[in-house]
Amino acid sequence: MYDKTVRRRRAVLLLLVVLSLILLTAYFGEAAGGQLHSVQRAFLTVLSPIQDGANKALKPVRDAFGWIGDTVDAKSERKQLVRQVDKLRREVIAEQTERSAYRELLALYRLDNRLSVSDYHPVTATVVAKSPNIWYSTVTIDKGEAAGVHINDPVINGEGLVGKVTQVASDGAQVSLITDSTMGVSARLGSTPATGIVQPKVGAPNDLLLQYLPANTQANRGDYVVTSGTVSSPDDSLYPPGIPIGQVTSVNEESAYRSVNVHPLADLHNLDVVQVLTSVRGSTPAKVSGLAANLPAGQTAAPGTAGTGALASATTGK
Amino acid sequence: MSAWEHTAASRAKAHGLFGPSFSPGIVARIALLAVIVVFFQTGVVSELSVLGVTVDLSPLLVAFVGLLCGSMLGAITGFAVGLLVDLALVQTLGVTSLIFTLIGYWSGRLRELRDPQAALIPLLVGAAATGASMVGYSLVEFLLGVEAPVSLELLRQIVLGVIAGAVAALPTWAVVRRSLEGGLPEDPRRRRRRAYTTGGLSPLTRA
Repeated sequence: MYDKTVRRRRAVLLLLVVLSLILLTAYFGEAAGGQLHSVQRAFLTVLSPIQDGANKALKPVRDAFGWIGDTVDAKSERKQLVRQVDKLRREVIAEQTERSAYRELLALYRLDNRLSVSDYHPVTATVVAKSPNIWYSTVTIDKGEAAGVHINDPVINGEGLVGKVTQVASDGAQVSLITDSTMGVSARLGSTPATGIVQPKVGAPNDLLLQYLPANTQANRGDYVVTSGTVSSPDDSLYPPGIPIGQVTSVNEESAYRSVNVHPLADLHNLDVVQVLTSVRGSTPAKVSGLAANLPAGQTAAPGTAGTGALASATTGK
Repeated sequence: MSAWEHTAASRAKAHGLFGPSFSPGIVARIALLAVIVVFFQTGVVSELSVLGVTVDLSPLLVAFVGLLCGSMLGAITGFAVGLLVDLALVQTLGVTSLIFTLIGYWSGRLRELRDPQAALIPLLVGAAATGASMVGYSLVEFLLGVEAPVSLELLRQIVLGVIAGAVAALPTWAVVRRSLEGGLPEDPRRRRRRAYTTGGLSPLTRA
């Protein structure tokens, strides 16, 4: 009797482990359009409305916990903000004098046809679920294909870049945050023309790394890092230029390339409402994306900078 | 059969741990609890972080089901909850199932072999389950080829995660035990109480 029970117990364990390994291998090996991915998308389609309802029902609980946390954090944030306001006030005074000259120059060179967020057909979505572990920095939102959301669409909130869409169902989508290990965003230091790639520091969910900056780049603590708006391959999503990503916390000088540690501006732990830049077909961003996709391998297009000529042609249909 | 196996066998027979665990009532309760915990985890708990870490209730649920219901039901619950988590969060299918199956099985075996009764056992089991899930995720992700340095930050996250799991363990244990109470085939505490008040388990001693 005992031997039979032990055999049965071990057989069940073995079966479950083998089943898990088969699932893992099949899922990891198949393409994004494979059967298991389709099952997952179908599950997401069914689950999204339920998650949305549960999210709304549980919002008071979340807000109550959030209120306690926010109150604890508020005091230290206040000191930081007072210092920041002083700094920004000085900068605003300096910027105002430069702005008028800048506008004149823009008009002179007809460079004012830059992309703005509204050109990307933003769709507002609510975060309905979030992964709890450090290896999957993903959230699920309540808008999907039905609202015009596609894979690789950039996702932002009021504070800055949040991530991009990586899976889509009809009424929901999965967003990989900029701290996810699969992410990489072309970015530049706000005060310099130097561009690099922002990637997550795995295991440090509050930190990013802006890598591959030229060795002579002057970076200072507190500098802002923004999206550069470049596209390096046809599969990349087109992040509009100038979206804030984070602030430099320290500079590393150990290699031929310079890298800086960046703290994300968006509070990725407390995401509630986000905007998906859907970049629908026929819009200026989509045309720029199409142009970038047709470039030979290794070349990049910068819609806000070097690509302005191409952008103007695309916009005017020339 | 070795002396150790013989002891385990006689303890298991005496406790009736392997037989009637699969009553439809207990399975339904566990399924309902799993769905509620996964939704509560993804919708609320994951949004709340302390010192950069969030509590993960799913491994705690699996470990406590194993601790209350035995290794087989623990392993099956682990597999099902893992699959639900992977499907709900659009993660790599099979990773969480694999880790949770082992956690459920291990905690079930702990009950079957040691039958621990100390008040702090749920806290220790919760911390161990959280630690095992975080280390397990890291190992699987490294095996799957995620390029990531083993940094002090990662270790810090694991340590903080284990502490957070331990803090959440006692309330989670209370909820899980209360939810499954009455449906459990042989509650060790009840058995001991009965043995104490009646003077023994054998009907002959009561006669």
